Amino acid sequence: MAAWLVAVYLLWPTAVPDDLKLPPVDESRIFDDALLDRTDTYERFLRWNGIAAQLVLLAVLALFAWRGWRFMRESAAGRIGTGMLLGMIGLALVWIAQLPFAAADLWWQKRYDVVQAGYLEWAFENWFSLGAEFLFICFWLLVTMALAAPLRDRWWIGAAPVFAGLALLFAFITPYLVPDQHDPSPTLAADAHEISREEHLEGIDLKVQKIGDLTDAPNAFAAGLGPSRRVVVWDTLLRPPFDREEVRVVLAHEYGHHKSQHVWKGVAWYTLLSLPILFVVARVAARWGGLYTPRAVPVALFALVVAYVIVQPFDNLVSRRMEAEADWVALNTTRDPQDARDLFEKFSETALQEPDPPEWAHLFFDTHPSIVERIGEATAWEQRNR
Amino acid sequence: MTSPHPIRLVVADELRRSRLTVFFRLILALPHYLWVAAWSLLMVLVVFVNWLITLVAGRTPKALHDFTAAYVRYVTHLVAYLLLTANPYPLFTGTENYPIDLEVDPPAPQRRLVTLFRVVLALPALVFEAIFLATFAGGGYSQGSGSSSAEYGAGGATVGLLWTVAFFAWFVCLFLGRMPLGFRSLQAYGLRYCAQVWAYFLFLTDRYPNLDPVDPPSTGPVHPVGLVVTDDLRRSRLTVFFRLLLALPHFVWLALWSVAAFFAAIANWFATLVVGRSPSALHRFLSAYVRYEYHVFSFVALTANPFPGFTGIAGSYPVDPELPASEPQRRLVTGFRLFLAIPALAVSSSLGGLALVAAFFGWFVALALGRMPRSFREAQAYAFRYGAQTSAYLLILTDRYPYSGPSLGEPEPEPQPEPEPAVVPA
Repeated sequence: MAAWLVAVYLLWPTAVPDDLKLPPVDESRIFDDALLDRTDTYERFLRWNGIAAQLVLLAVLALFAWRGWRFMRESAAGRIGTGMLLGMIGLALVWIAQLPFAAADLWWQKRYDVVQAGYLEWAFENWFSLGAEFLFICFWLLVTMALAAPLRDRWWIGAAPVFAGLALLFAFITPYLVPDQHDPSPTLAADAHEISREEHLEGIDLKVQKIGDLTDAPNAFAAGLGPSRRVVVWDTLLRPPFDREEVRVVLAHEYGHHKSQHVWKGVAWYTLLSLPILFVVARVAARWGGLYTPRAVPVALFALVVAYVIVQPFDNLVSRRMEAEADWVALNTTRDPQDARDLFEKFSETALQEPDPPEWAHLFFDTHPSIVERIGEATAWEQRNR
Repeated sequence: MTSPHPIRLVVADELRRSRLTVFFRLILALPHYLWVAAWSLLMVLVVFVNWLITLVAGRTPKALHDFTAAYVRYVTHLVAYLLLTANPYPLFTGTENYPIDLEVDPPAPQRRLVTLFRVVLALPALVFEAIFLATFAGGGYSQGSGSSSAEYGAGGATVGLLWTVAFFAWFVCLFLGRMPLGFRSLQAYGLRYCAQVWAYFLFLTDRYPNLDPVDPPSTGPVHPVGLVVTDDLRRSRLTVFFRLLLALPHFVWLALWSVAAFFAAIANWFATLVVGRSPSALHRFLSAYVRYEYHVFSFVALTANPFPGFTGIAGSYPVDPELPASEPQRRLVTGFRLFLAIPALAVSSSLGGLALVAAFFGWFVALALGRMPRSFREAQAYAFRYGAQTSAYLLILTDRYPYSGPSLGEPEPEPQPEPEPAVVPA
């Protein structure tokens, strides 16, 4: 426990000065009323739809925890195989229950022209992603149920390092799994090179992902570890309304993630948060015979999801701190707060991000600082470095 | 117990083939091509009239029934001749007494609703018929490394199961002057089904074609590789709906195991070639692999209900290949095993297509009824039994060639020890 707290203490600080006070930002002076209304309506639907989906998810898994063991009769696969089947059936039921909400999400985003993907395309993608989830849960259960044989209810102690190792592996290979990556234009490559040099980062590739046929939302991300490190920019960022200076801010932000070792820290946070979650799952499963028996799998699945839902706000908080740190690094690199502010404003226009969402929604849903906070951070940086 | 199907195939063939007529078979049938084309044109009109009358009267007039029955019988004779299922040159009239013949019951009342939608209802049966007899370019099915003169697989030329068998049978008949029993039995099964499809489509009967390969029951030779089916036909709708996705971990595991099995098979081949029998460790490993392979196939194809285990343990699944213990094998057969297995692989590949189509239609039925139709399950079991025999032969688990007929004989019962004579107290 002490080691856990020490690890949290060590991971918590960021490059953003602790005494930084964000100046108040009046969103109505930056955005016109029509846009504020539009983002508010847009996000409100998605938010409530998400809450409804989450409640249904919990209800379905609770029901499955209660009655799901009955599916054991559909298996001839022994202890672990039967556990895998139960895990997959649990996810399948969740998928069915979530389908209307996911469809509603897509319908809403299409209505607001944020997403262009067709329903059939979405359905196929959704189906295939369920396959990936099945493989994931099978692997998860293979590890936990195999460890439950020698360790019984202490399997979580063995499972945490295994999952941490897998998270590292996944973080390493993620850049190679991103589809449709292309080399950047010479201008973009030159900007990326200059920024990475200023941030003292060498040998980190920049790629452009072609995704503009599916969505208008702008995005970029940093991924990979060591030699696989990469920055990927969506092509939606490389067209109007975004200009070259704003793209430079995005690049500096993503390289900032690498500079601040956020992928490593992300894995570390994942491991730290996994420990209590796995512990809780093990304790709950123990009341149904422990994860050694497939009978406990539905309950373990329910406990796992509930634990993740509970931890979600803290996870989001950690993520927002990292994003704020990357913004700070980008401001230090570009020394261009005005273009940063312009960029964040345009995020609201193109992705319909609500500039200042309600506090509770920010807590539960947002992995990034709000637009108002980001603009405030740019202004605060400007005031400090005037 | 259901009554016998009104369209029945009668086999009185003695397997002997004339090499000369076999060699020229396709050309000898030229007059029949013209005749069948003319008769088929006439049948277009007859079928339409037959449909209208059956729809109104609820039964086919005797004259039209007999005319159509003669056509179906004639086509069956002709196809049997082309496929080498029978030897003599067929008559042009569709009269009885051909070695591969059809028994057609007299006209019986037909349900009007079934008659009205006959064309739509016949679609699944027509797809199965295409699996047996089609010869067209387009999508196809490929399983394992099956290869023949035809190219299997999506986008290639597709050759029906019976034509694949006929292709290999042609060489055998030319060489031996005899048709192999397994090939003939398989073709008889396919022809019986196709004749039932034609009869259904042409309003001879409203009884749906029966895909069950062992209805009516028959017997064949004893083979060391069998398939034990203890499935009760019940299916869980939820696992049926997600069947392919649920099988994903098995696909991953099967792929990994296949890599190991490939190298084990090479080692087994060398060892058997030298020692004359498969080493028991390799034999056990590869037997488990074959069992696992068909457990997974059975799960995916809805031949069985439960999620299979990952270890291929004997007796652990309701559709379970039965494999022999390691026994002496002929070195010559072992040496040329890969080459010798080519016909079996091609037939197995085509039978896999049958199992796949049965799985496709079975998916809808099982989802609606919570049960797999027995005839589909039996057809799949037949395909998988032959597939398991082919795998066992290819992986040097037995040197007995796969038997392609739908039925196997019962193995001889183990001799029981004589009971001790009862001692009667004096």
